[in-house]
Amino acid sequence: MTLAEKHRPKKYTDMVGHEQVILAVRTFLSEFPKKKAILLYGSPGTGKTSLAHVAARENNAEIFELNSSDLRNRIKLEEILKPASKQESLFKKNKILLVDEVDGVTGTDIGGIAELIRIINQTSHPIIITGNDVWQTKLAPLRPLCTLVEMKSLKPDTVQIFLSNICAKEGTQENPHFLKQIAIKSQGDLRAALNDLQAYTIDRNIPVDPEKRNKEESIFNILKLLFQQRQDFLQLFDNTELSLDEILLWIEENIPREYREESLFKAYYALSNADIHRGRIYRQQHWRFLLYQNIFQSAGIAYAKKLPRSTFTKYERPKRVLKIWMNNQRTAKKKTISQKYARAVHCSVKRVMRDFEVLRPILQSIQIQQKLKLEQDEIDFLTK
Amino acid sequence: MTQTDIWTERYRPAVFEEVVGQQEIVKRVRSLVQSLNIPHLLFAGPAGTGKSTLALIIVRELFGDTWKQNYLELNASDERGIDVVRQKVKDFARTKSLGNVPFKVIFLDEADALTREAQQALRRTMENYTNTCRFILSCNYSSQIIDPIQSRCVVFRFKLLEKKDIASVIKKIGEREKLNIAEDTYEALYESSEGDCRRAINLIQATASISPDVNAEMINIISSRSKPANIRIVLDYALAGDFMNAREKLLDVMLKESIAGIDVIKAIQKEVWNLQVEPELKLKLTEKTGEIEFRMVEGSDEFVQLQALLASFVMAGRGKSL
Repeated sequence: MTLAEKHRPKKYTDMVGHEQVILAVRTFLSEFPKKKAILLYGSPGTGKTSLAHVAARENNAEIFELNSSDLRNRIKLEEILKPASKQESLFKKNKILLVDEVDGVTGTDIGGIAELIRIINQTSHPIIITGNDVWQTKLAPLRPLCTLVEMKSLKPDTVQIFLSNICAKEGTQENPHFLKQIAIKSQGDLRAALNDLQAYTIDRNIPVDPEKRNKEESIFNILKLLFQQRQDFLQLFDNTELSLDEILLWIEENIPREYREESLFKAYYALSNADIHRGRIYRQQHWRFLLYQNIFQSAGIAYAKKLPRSTFTKYERPKRVLKIWMNNQRTAKKKTISQKYARAVHCSVKRVMRDFEVLRPILQSIQIQQKLKLEQDEIDFLTK
Repeated sequence: MTQTDIWTERYRPAVFEEVVGQQEIVKRVRSLVQSLNIPHLLFAGPAGTGKSTLALIIVRELFGDTWKQNYLELNASDERGIDVVRQKVKDFARTKSLGNVPFKVIFLDEADALTREAQQALRRTMENYTNTCRFILSCNYSSQIIDPIQSRCVVFRFKLLEKKDIASVIKKIGEREKLNIAEDTYEALYESSEGDCRRAINLIQATASISPDVNAEMINIISSRSKPANIRIVLDYALAGDFMNAREKLLDVMLKESIAGIDVIKAIQKEVWNLQVEPELKLKLTEKTGEIEFRMVEGSDEFVQLQALLASFVMAGRGKSL
């Protein structure tokens, strides 16, 4: 048994450094079915799956788990998850559904996301979903249905404390400096830290190499190669775990930092071409077009400039998706009000949203608010 | 002054006689309804001209008191994908209709929001349930509806309401709600509603919620609140070569006003003609705008496409040929 398996946390209090996330999960479970699902996201090894299991244990609930090794297609989901979400649990315990690694649902079984959404809408048990990157386009329809909670990577200090606790339990003594090195190298991935600890204690000769490259470093390198060099671009994206769609967002964000005028124009047209092929993939499931998307967003971007160049550019992480999400949070009430109003007046929610400012004075009438059965927080939104 | 009702609902025509501006259509639809057997119908026409209203009158006439059990209203632009539509249609059509009429009615509003593939699927659904269900589809442009669906429907084209039609509706409301409507109001209402009766009524109610004395100036103030946001600023930034600011402003505008990319394109297309540039360049920019509108339909991320358009405005601003 690996150390990581052996020392999986069992109680909330075992999960050092995650107090806020734990609070969010407890609130979610106690308020269920106010929200049907909670989406825990964060880098690998931060304890998302562990937290789900701990939550089940603390609530005396049975856990029903699906991970990415299960075929995530619609038929399979329907078979497994659906009866589970409606059935009473075998021993009359509570039940929690765990959908692990939701971003492992690849494009080909995209029906899986649609089905998951359906299940969230129908479930009579709380659902915990985990994922590394929840900002992908394909997960967009999922996000509004879930409470989103980020599991932040642990600080090296916390990891180190955790490691020395484990050593104490195992009855071994380790040099604090050695533990610190492992902690730093782990970049907050507790599972990796424990595995390393185990490996190093078996074979002392392996040097601890704290220079493990992380994901973001690799995307910065990719951007540099893409924008400044002009070679090897076809294999460029093979070295990263980021999906083409994520890379596209990074490129989109950073084109104007690198290119001006004609290059800017050409680069965005290449990106536009990439997006057209992506649209065709989405609509017609024509996966061959992925090839074209890849070429346009690599070679297309690289050749937008006349010559290779080398200047220093500070690249930034994509902001758009986050901005949209934050805006949606801010205007969530506007949307729910519009939905209620739209139903009453036989009109689309989109049109109501567009005309919202004209409608606002109408919606401020108390009688109309009562007729539409607006909640107090929606009424507050209208009078603010 | 308190208002107890949403006027667009309170004053929605409940019988054929009350519908304004669509006499020909009303006459034909009414005779179809009297035979107790309607075909599938397609209502094409601008917003606020009475499409939903007529659908509601049809089901009330057909089913009387049981209309709510026999009628399902779906909005294609709000439902996520054809799967939802199909499932809801299936669930609804599975049970028998109540009363004398052997079918139920499904009203699918804004059917032109469905993609072509979704429309193909809808066509199958219409066929499968044709014995138990009649469809009434509404759309702004019938050209957006695929031919096989059009050929299964009797198509009615709704006209934009005229100034006198809007005025008569508003006058009636004014009397019932005891408003004091200045004469210039009607002109202003017609201008800012562009013949959209729903919008005209909303404007009068929003204005009346402030004061029962209504005039053109107040109508204009209220209606300017939801004018398509100032796309001009975005274009000015782009033409000045400041892509970053143009992009940021554009996203802000889209988020704040909840407008979709396709509406931004429409606004840009209009705004191009007001720019202070050579007519030749206007033509070129229009060409680019059209190209991007087409790409938006084909692509998956409208903001990527809009950035490509902004980039061509940056080029144009620098006097570079497009």
